[in-house]
Amino acid sequence: MSLVNLGFDSPIVLALFWPAATIGFYLCARKIYARWRRWYLSPLAVTPALLLALAILLGARYVDYMRGAHWIMLALGPATVAFAIPIYEKRETIRRNWRVLLLGVLIGSSTAMVSAWAMASVLGLSGDLRLSLLPRSMSTPFAMEVSGDIGGAPDLTAIFVMVTGIFGAALGELMLTLLPLRSSLARGALLGMGAHGAGAAKAREIGQEEGSIAGLVMVLAGLLNVLAAPILAYGLKGGF
Amino acid sequence: MHTRGPLLRIRYAFHHSRLLQLGVLTGFWFLGQAAAEALRLPVPGGVVGMAAVLALLLSGRMSVFSVRRGAQTLLAEMLLFFVPAVMALLDHSEFIGVLGLKLLVVILTGTLCVMASTALTVDLCARWTSRHVAR
Repeated sequence: MSLVNLGFDSPIVLALFWPAATIGFYLCARKIYARWRRWYLSPLAVTPALLLALAILLGARYVDYMRGAHWIMLALGPATVAFAIPIYEKRETIRRNWRVLLLGVLIGSSTAMVSAWAMASVLGLSGDLRLSLLPRSMSTPFAMEVSGDIGGAPDLTAIFVMVTGIFGAALGELMLTLLPLRSSLARGALLGMGAHGAGAAKAREIGQEEGSIAGLVMVLAGLLNVLAAPILAYGLKGGF
Repeated sequence: MHTRGPLLRIRYAFHHSRLLQLGVLTGFWFLGQAAAEALRLPVPGGVVGMAAVLALLLSGRMSVFSVRRGAQTLLAEMLLFFVPAVMALLDHSEFIGVLGLKLLVVILTGTLCVMASTALTVDLCARWTSRHVAR
């Protein structure tokens, strides 16, 4: 009756099952989102929800899942390289506005860290969690790097980054309707700074220019924070 | 531009094959990883690869059409690549409950603050420069 008897434990099934389930659910989720455009139906929310339900049903752990599906996450590397193309195609806009974007990234990054620190303190979260929450506005590889540098737990940070992405993409869309933003520059920066890669994907739905600005802002934020991390670590350890 | 023979055929293949272009982008990521590791850069390999592609495009050594289709595919399906990281929640059942709610509050309010401050800064600066700098 149970799947175990059907040879579910065999390595070949394990290697194929989770990636197939991930891609299958993702394609379904994308169809659903194309039909009903609701923020809670975003593929980034629906796909993990279905997968988590399935994994809990089958009693699978994270390592079981990752054994077969880790290569899907590796594709984020080439996807980062791919951001060179929209940035190249919008190089004129960027050349004209790089100072403004850099200032936005500086302000955004500081706000991210200060707000996470303050809220975590107010709610009485432990020091470990608080440190792991600080870099959550960056894209995953940067965030994990910074988290390790400042003494947080990189695997926890990865989860917080994802939650930020899922809700950030939705919140960002809402914010765009509330804030009186005139420039595509500001719309792209809002999504790229607030929700990293997921925000950049959302920005691409809104417009070409928004998409490339969001991608650039995401990369800028990551670079700036990685460079600032040693100084930040020094400050957090009571150096100042 | 008008070379004949095998070179032209290779160029044609690169400009039209999505799969080849995905391979090229993956290759740059791989090289970026290797470079970041060898030089002990604190930057992810993908970013090093991106910088390399951008440099090649800007210097005119590489045509944007030899990577454009591949890049569009990767960027369009990017949400899929984020999914496995969420599965780490399987190992953190302690987040189901009050602690999870607290974390969610921190993340949501923080993200709202980040978005508002970033967007308003950029928008105000963009308005200011467009008023004060003649283009």
